[in-house]
Amino acid sequence: MTAVLDKIAEGAIPPGDAPTPAPGAPVSGLAGTLKRYPLAALAALVLALIAFGALFAPLVGTTDPTALDPANRLQGASAAHWLGTDHLGRDIWSRLVYGARVSVVVGLAVAALAVVIGLVIGLFTGFIRWLDPIVMRVMDGLMAIPGILLAIALVSVSGASILTVIAAIVVPEVPRVVRLVRSVVLSVREEPYVEAAVSVGTPLPKLLWRHVLPNCVPPLIVQATYVAASAMLTEAILSFLGAGTPPIVPSWGNMVAEGRLLFQIAPMNLLYPGIALAITILAVNILGDALRDRLDPKLAKRVGQR
Amino acid sequence: MTTTEGNAPVLSIRDLAVALPAGADRRWAVEGVSFDVGPGEIVCVVGESGSGKSVTAFSVMGLLAKGELHAERGEILLEGEDVLKASPERLRDLRGTRMAMIFQEPATALNPVMTIGDQIDEVLQIHTELSPAERREKVIAIMEAMHLPDPQALYDRYPHQLSGGQRQRVMIAAAMVLDPVILIADEPTTALDVTTQAQILQLIKEMQERRRTGVLFITHDFGVVAEIADKVVVMRHGEVVEQGPAREIFANPKVDYTRMLIASVPSLEPPTRTAASGEVAVRTRDLVKGYGGRSWLGRATRPSVLAAKDVNIVVRRGETLGVVGESGSGKSTVARCIVRLVDPTSGAIEIAGVDIAGLSTRALTPYRRRVQMVFQDPYRSLNPRRTVGASVMEGPMNFGLSREDALARARRLMGLVGLSPDALDRYPHQFSGGQRQRLAIARALAMEPDVLIADEAVSALDVSVQKQVLELLDQVKREFDLALLFITHDLRVAAQICDRIAVMRRGEVVEEGPTRELFLNPRHEYTRTLLAAAPGRHLGHPQAAE
Repeated sequence: MTAVLDKIAEGAIPPGDAPTPAPGAPVSGLAGTLKRYPLAALAALVLALIAFGALFAPLVGTTDPTALDPANRLQGASAAHWLGTDHLGRDIWSRLVYGARVSVVVGLAVAALAVVIGLVIGLFTGFIRWLDPIVMRVMDGLMAIPGILLAIALVSVSGASILTVIAAIVVPEVPRVVRLVRSVVLSVREEPYVEAAVSVGTPLPKLLWRHVLPNCVPPLIVQATYVAASAMLTEAILSFLGAGTPPIVPSWGNMVAEGRLLFQIAPMNLLYPGIALAITILAVNILGDALRDRLDPKLAKRVGQR
Repeated sequence: MTTTEGNAPVLSIRDLAVALPAGADRRWAVEGVSFDVGPGEIVCVVGESGSGKSVTAFSVMGLLAKGELHAERGEILLEGEDVLKASPERLRDLRGTRMAMIFQEPATALNPVMTIGDQIDEVLQIHTELSPAERREKVIAIMEAMHLPDPQALYDRYPHQLSGGQRQRVMIAAAMVLDPVILIADEPTTALDVTTQAQILQLIKEMQERRRTGVLFITHDFGVVAEIADKVVVMRHGEVVEQGPAREIFANPKVDYTRMLIASVPSLEPPTRTAASGEVAVRTRDLVKGYGGRSWLGRATRPSVLAAKDVNIVVRRGETLGVVGESGSGKSTVARCIVRLVDPTSGAIEIAGVDIAGLSTRALTPYRRRVQMVFQDPYRSLNPRRTVGASVMEGPMNFGLSREDALARARRLMGLVGLSPDALDRYPHQFSGGQRQRLAIARALAMEPDVLIADEAVSALDVSVQKQVLELLDQVKREFDLALLFITHDLRVAAQICDRIAVMRRGEVVEEGPTRELFLNPRHEYTRTLLAAAPGRHLGHPQAAE
């Protein structure tokens, strides 16, 4: 195998006995990356704005998102209510901004938890032979449970809260991360430098941390973005179904659910949160694609040549 | 198109210059390259990696990487027609009909989901108007000419069902089916075992004689050159340093570089050595390693393949034992068992008198230090993300040495293996293959082992670098009184470095003895076959060449 790769490399540029550039060496810094992926730069900007709004929600022209004002319900956009009010007279802009908090928190928390749990399980599963078949069959079992169904079951047992929602989304995501990590570990463990580390007596945890883990990071970063996007969507679906965040919490899913009732009278009440959700998820996915291209040396080269 | 009358060259390269992309370590991939290939002539282009020999071959085929390399000057005349000026359509037409190429790795050059017959047939489909029946007849004929067994049956087989040598024969059949005037062979035997290599070289020779095909043969191996070349072109750093008839080049090389290359090829004649009498450092008793047979829950059942069968070897301190064999002989398996990278199925491995074959990971730790390994691929045996210093110091620090002490030891070892101690802060990609192998040796020595195992440690290196690394291995062996277990497929290397040799075939040691005795008087038939197949047998002892 390696002989072929050497050959191909030699066919393109004779590498010689001279030092060759590192595989996937950074072509240029952050600025260069943004220039090469303008769409990704835009996506990053959008996400930064959303994160900023979520973090500083009280400071961006909002009022109390839960304050009822039945006298002023279903109003259009105005200086007082930038995007109008809903059927209970609540300010839609405020609810939209505060709703972003839920989405961002769920997205980040699920991505972080799923990646960390999956990474630990995947590393050990990939490296310890006897553990592998047992853990992977358990993971297959977990993957067979539909996420939404599990969420509804969990919520009905422990009540609707953002923590329940996060737990319900993390559980079915973990096996995907485990599979990814395990596949990387299985190929890296055959690398001579890993075997060399074994033969100089490196203990397993150190071995995994130093020699195996770094190889898992690039694909994991990419996977994390997809997990985050899918978590946000699942949260919205759960809220929409009434199995997610409690109705008192302003979240995009809840807003869509409420807006649905009056869609014919005030369509924008449903469309605003819908659009916000769509833009956020699209931005996360575009960013993930760009990261994938950037972190995969082969793809990066192809994109670079275009 | 001019016809080739008499001995007019079929391929004529004139002052070829191919530029490297900006930012490379030199301006030209090749420059000022000129040579001819006549009909029925085998021209060997020899050089080390980076010499531009492959770029030259790829230029002829019009296969240079687009956007990175292109010919700036010169002409490549194929029967008088300049292929550098040919349109892409014309080039496509020329490939296959007038010129053909075979590659190093037959396993990947063939499409795994197409039958052998279809792959050869494809060439005919593209370039001829023959009917399916006529094509099949032609395919069978060429397969027969390539000495492929039972062509009718082989036609419908897939590449994975063939051996490496048979796959290379199929590649040659596909290349030769339209009787091109020139065949370009880019290291076609490098990935093959010596016995297979000998057969393929024989085949290429035969073809060139019968069909009068000109052959441009790219290789790094002077043994192969000695075996088949009519004419030799020696390349270095993109330039031709010397060319001439093979006999002259070998008898009377004019340039120092050529002399050095020829001298770097280890002689097949082993020097006289005194038997080592040090204490036994490692001994295997009836070592068996089996593979295969796992139930769905991962429990091992009876092994179906035995990679090593009742292997008994002994290495004393201060001694080099060579384990020689072709691919699949089990020589690497034995090495990996001794380092305990794989667990042996049965038998004993004694290190300093203690059987480590069955020890648990924890109990094994103190013995890990005593046996160290240098791996084959210098590009993969160092973690690319860590400084080489971190790699060299890792082992001693695992065994409780402080950072300062480990660093001091690493600096001392860097000097010993011929590298600057300041290079410890650098990353592996900043070193050449030979330097990396020195680093790997330093890493192994940092553990202060009793036993050093070199698993094909020089086979990925150029001959000149190979020689230096071999000398280094020999030097550290003497300096530290190591037991050196040297795994190789290369009899020449084994002849020069080993005190004793064990020949392995299909998991078994078929013959073992002192190197000189084994080379001069091989008892087992397989040993004799191996020795006979070594390319350029006469190289290195001129009296035999006469």
